[in-house]
Amino acid sequence: MLGEFEYLLITTAARLGNEAYGAVIREELGAATGRKCSIGALYTTIDRLETKGLLKTWMGEATPQRGGRAKRMVRVTPKGVQAAKDFYDAIARVSRGVSWAANRTRVPS
Amino acid sequence: MNAEYFFTGSSSHLVDLVARLLPPQEREVVQGDLLEGGESAWQSLLAVVGLVIRREAALWRNWRPWLAAFGLALPSSFLLMGFSLSVSRAYQQLVGAPILHATGVIVGPGFALFLCNVLLLAAWSWTGGYVVGSVSRRTVWVSAALSFAPCLFCLERFRVESLSRLCLLLFLPVALWGARRGFQIARIKRSSAIALAIAVTALTIPTWSSGGAWIPNWALSWPAWFLVATARRT
Repeated sequence: MLGEFEYLLITTAARLGNEAYGAVIREELGAATGRKCSIGALYTTIDRLETKGLLKTWMGEATPQRGGRAKRMVRVTPKGVQAAKDFYDAIARVSRGVSWAANRTRVPS
Repeated sequence: MNAEYFFTGSSSHLVDLVARLLPPQEREVVQGDLLEGGESAWQSLLAVVGLVIRREAALWRNWRPWLAAFGLALPSSFLLMGFSLSVSRAYQQLVGAPILHATGVIVGPGFALFLCNVLLLAAWSWTGGYVVGSVSRRTVWVSAALSFAPCLFCLERFRVESLSRLCLLLFLPVALWGARRGFQIARIKRSSAIALAIAVTALTIPTWSSGGAWIPNWALSWPAWFLVATARRT
């Protein structure tokens, strides 16, 4: 089963689709969780997920915004999608009946 | 402090320096992310140091660096220094022997044993260095530090009038050569490994009859057999 940070990373990458790469994922994670994500945590987790076959990464284009440096693009594999779905289902199951999850109709902004 | 300043200011040199500890491709990606994220120099430095520490820590989750550093580099360094000293003394005795002065030729069982010991010292040093280099990989600098630390310790305390301190380090050039080869070529051919292991073991036989210690012998010989166990088939 995925860890909490692994789930957040896979979900963020899946939501970003073709635009998923290190800097953007980091920014999105920071905005979603309210905590700054360290580069160390990000890339060691990406490596681990890639080793498990849950993510695929490749070197993307270099942009002037990055000083001509290449991006590391990220794509969630079907296995990664399944792992994230399993994690979400487990969270939903275990949260059934608890006060903070009951009658929840909208996601906080 | 903005991103532009980060990559033009003098502090960028420090970040660049630390980032050199990362593989080239990862260095490029990380520096690009930091620039795009508009991180300050201090934040960038912390980010890169954090990643380097995580990468190094990940290497030590494997048993191999531990074996190379603490199971081989550190103890072998002490043992090989002792053996280097023993070989130096044997040489000194041979050179000072009356037979040499009389005939100018070194002959007899003493010389044969001395020759065996010289070859054994070279073989143990090379195989030990090779295994350290091939097993340590990216943690080789820790193994190197653990090899040099005993050398410095012993050099500081060396008090033999008739011998140079450098006698302690006879093993070092061959061990460094072996470590370099091991780092470049992780595994050698099985036939070469078997030949080397047999030669090392055969060279230890004369030392048994001359009161050679068993434990140091095997502590220094196992790398040769480790090479056989991990050798390439073709």
